[in-house]
Amino acid sequence: MSTKAIESLSEDTVRRIAEERDEPEWLLETRLNALDALETAELPDVIQTPGRRWTDLEALDFEALVDPLNQSDTTERTAGDDEVVVAPFTEAFEEYGDVLEEHFGTVLDPEHNYLTALSVALFTTGTFVYVPEGVDVEDVTVRAEMNSRSLFSQTLVVAEESSSVTILESIESGSEAGSGSEGDRYFSNLVEVVGGENATVQFGSLQNLDDDTYTYSLKRGVTDTYATIDWIESNFGSKLTRSDVETELNGDGSESQIVGTFFGSEDQHFDVNARVWHQAEHTTADLVTRGVLDDVARSVYEGVQDVGRDAWNTSSYQRENTLMLSDDAEADASPKLIIHNHDTEASHSATVGQVDAEDLFYLESRSIDSRTARNMLVEGFFVPVLEEIAVDEFREDVEELVVERLQ
Amino acid sequence: MSSQDHLKETDTEARFEFKKEENSAFKSEKGLTEETVRVISEDKDEPEWMLERRLRALKQFQAMPMPTDWPEAPDLSEIDIDEIVPYIRPDIDVRGGVDDWTDLPDDIKDTFDKLGIPEAEKNALSGVGAQYESEIVYQNMQERWEEKGVVFCDMDKAVQEHEELVKEYFMTKAVPPSDNKFAALHGAIWSGGSFVYVPEDTTVEMPIQAYFRMNSEGMGQFEHTLIIAEEGSEVHYIEGCSAPKYSAFNLHSGGVEVFVGEDAHVQYSTVQNWSKNTYNLNTKRAIAEKGGRMEWISGSMGSKATMLYPSTILKGRGASDNHITIAFAGEGQDIDTGAKVYHNAPETKSTIESKSISKDGGRTNYRGLVHIADGAENSSTAVECDALMFDNESTSDTMPYMEINESKVDVAHEATVGKIGDEDIFYLQSRGLDDDDAKQMIVSGFIEPITEELPIEYAVELNRLVELEMEGSLG
Repeated sequence: MSTKAIESLSEDTVRRIAEERDEPEWLLETRLNALDALETAELPDVIQTPGRRWTDLEALDFEALVDPLNQSDTTERTAGDDEVVVAPFTEAFEEYGDVLEEHFGTVLDPEHNYLTALSVALFTTGTFVYVPEGVDVEDVTVRAEMNSRSLFSQTLVVAEESSSVTILESIESGSEAGSGSEGDRYFSNLVEVVGGENATVQFGSLQNLDDDTYTYSLKRGVTDTYATIDWIESNFGSKLTRSDVETELNGDGSESQIVGTFFGSEDQHFDVNARVWHQAEHTTADLVTRGVLDDVARSVYEGVQDVGRDAWNTSSYQRENTLMLSDDAEADASPKLIIHNHDTEASHSATVGQVDAEDLFYLESRSIDSRTARNMLVEGFFVPVLEEIAVDEFREDVEELVVERLQ
Repeated sequence: MSSQDHLKETDTEARFEFKKEENSAFKSEKGLTEETVRVISEDKDEPEWMLERRLRALKQFQAMPMPTDWPEAPDLSEIDIDEIVPYIRPDIDVRGGVDDWTDLPDDIKDTFDKLGIPEAEKNALSGVGAQYESEIVYQNMQERWEEKGVVFCDMDKAVQEHEELVKEYFMTKAVPPSDNKFAALHGAIWSGGSFVYVPEDTTVEMPIQAYFRMNSEGMGQFEHTLIIAEEGSEVHYIEGCSAPKYSAFNLHSGGVEVFVGEDAHVQYSTVQNWSKNTYNLNTKRAIAEKGGRMEWISGSMGSKATMLYPSTILKGRGASDNHITIAFAGEGQDIDTGAKVYHNAPETKSTIESKSISKDGGRTNYRGLVHIADGAENSSTAVECDALMFDNESTSDTMPYMEINESKVDVAHEATVGKIGDEDIFYLQSRGLDDDDAKQMIVSGFIEPITEELPIEYAVELNRLVELEMEGSLG
């Protein structure tokens, strides 16, 4: 399928974006190549079973959603430390142009699919994080507000040998949000993480956009020897979100944890994916996702643990739990194991259920009213994933959003 | 001699790996055209409506694409329908099967003797049907079941003698030809298979069995099995299958439809040991009414590639399903199998237990779907998949899909993959077992939850097949 051509998109548009940002030639090239790739690129794969397409991306009207030249955002970046670089690309070209050029697009091929190509061709915001060798920083935050009909963001994290960094990224809708036809908006977020030898990166992401926004997010990391990349992916907002979080374990002894949370209410649709490729020896992965669905919300989950031929001595675990608060909610799940090496210990599990009646009864018998009792149990349901979040500020944000939703 | 001893004493490999001269009374041309379908139907002297169904299925087959867009699907590119001989009627006097083994031509009788079927019949079965190439050649059931109104006959004969029932149920409710490309192919050129009818409140105490044997190179076998179990009845149906190995590919594309009436209980067991040049692309489906219980027990040992996902539609309140599957993929095999369950009524229950073993470059995949429809309150499903890998050339995949449209449910899926435990082997070795015996013992233990569900004859057979695979002496 050659996907929808967007009329407002042309080489001129892309050149204008690059020019306004005063970008180096290689990036313009990359953007133009991505633009060309739109002709043949496909939308991301969506699970289809007899009579059921789990997420309908084809229905998105990109013509109406994409407004490349009027992108606007307000983004606050704090580094917490002088030794680390946390800056928009435009401020980093001069000093770190070669680092950007070396790594940009190496973790995540811009032409991976239609939506990544679109995003690379048009991005106007995002962050470059550079952690030099041996540097240890804890409080990098990037808080963004989206103020336009469409916004494309591109983030690159490069953690050099034996460095360590904890990053919190959040996105929400700004008060002056412009809107397209019927008020629908589109947010696209690509994140690349390069985990150098023995480096540790924790990348937390909190999405709380308003309910007119469609979101596409693809985050991918690649590990060198002994590196660790941990992800926390929290989705609360948006009308429809397609989120993919992926790690390629390319270095011996490297590790990755992917923690996911979502809370869907009204007619929200979350398509959440966690994937890990074990491609070296002694690698470990742990995928944990917990989500709650209320009203007529719908969730789709795919988890993939792919163990390559050369991934000797692999450990790989995956758990997914969905809690249904409403009778009209729907949950689809597909945890997959693809194992090519027998020297592997791998497992996955998935459950769907509702608040345990006995737990509820217990709390009610302690004279807690049923609504409060249910809310307590839902908050408790998220505890195992909250415990994985290293940044207090982030954990509190998530807890707050859960409580807010339960009102 | 008990049948167990018989099975032990016969060299299992020789039992499957012998070839007979091709000796047919009627053999269709290679390939698939409207003419082929008409010729098959005419040779069977079928009523007009069946010919029409065949022709409609043929059109559907021609219109449908091959299932190549499935993630990690087995390679079916070798299958060329134009190279398949879809219909071979063996040279026998009585159509619909004789009821005495000695009435069969010597080569056919010898085939089933070697497979141990007459012996098993004497010891453990209520009835036996045996299919050779495209036709049932032997069919017999103990008289006491016949007296109770139980029907067990050749499918072709059922089209003639139980026309109304067949017309109502045959590929209309459970497996319509439009279901998938190979169901459509099956609908066009099906031949042979069994028809089972169990009247209300009748329990058929001993299993009935059908055995399917392909003898000729390059043929396709397309038998159809239709089981109707009326309210409160109970039956256990067993099918076995095998073929000698040829260099050209063979195709097996059977169709199985099971109707489980209210509070009825049907168990369907399969020990599949097709030769490793056979593509095994089956469609099996059951519909369970209120309180009905369906059990699928499958052992997939043979074939080059298998795509088989027995499915159950839990249509009535309180219906339940139980899947037990074991897959063993050795060198050059791709066993892609699993289960499908649709919970379409409240208080329905399903459990799926899958065990797979991959070895010497073989690939196993559990591919399963559990769908819980909106309104199927208080339903529960539990899926458990365990995979054992022997070496680094092999592949073990697990791909479950869960679609939950109802909140008052209990859904659990669990899977593990691992290698055979070094410590377990060490422990057994320290007790004086050699490496091979230790591994064999561990594998037998691994699949025991499944073998213990089978009648002893089949459990023994399955274990014996596993042993042969472990020795690497088969195929």
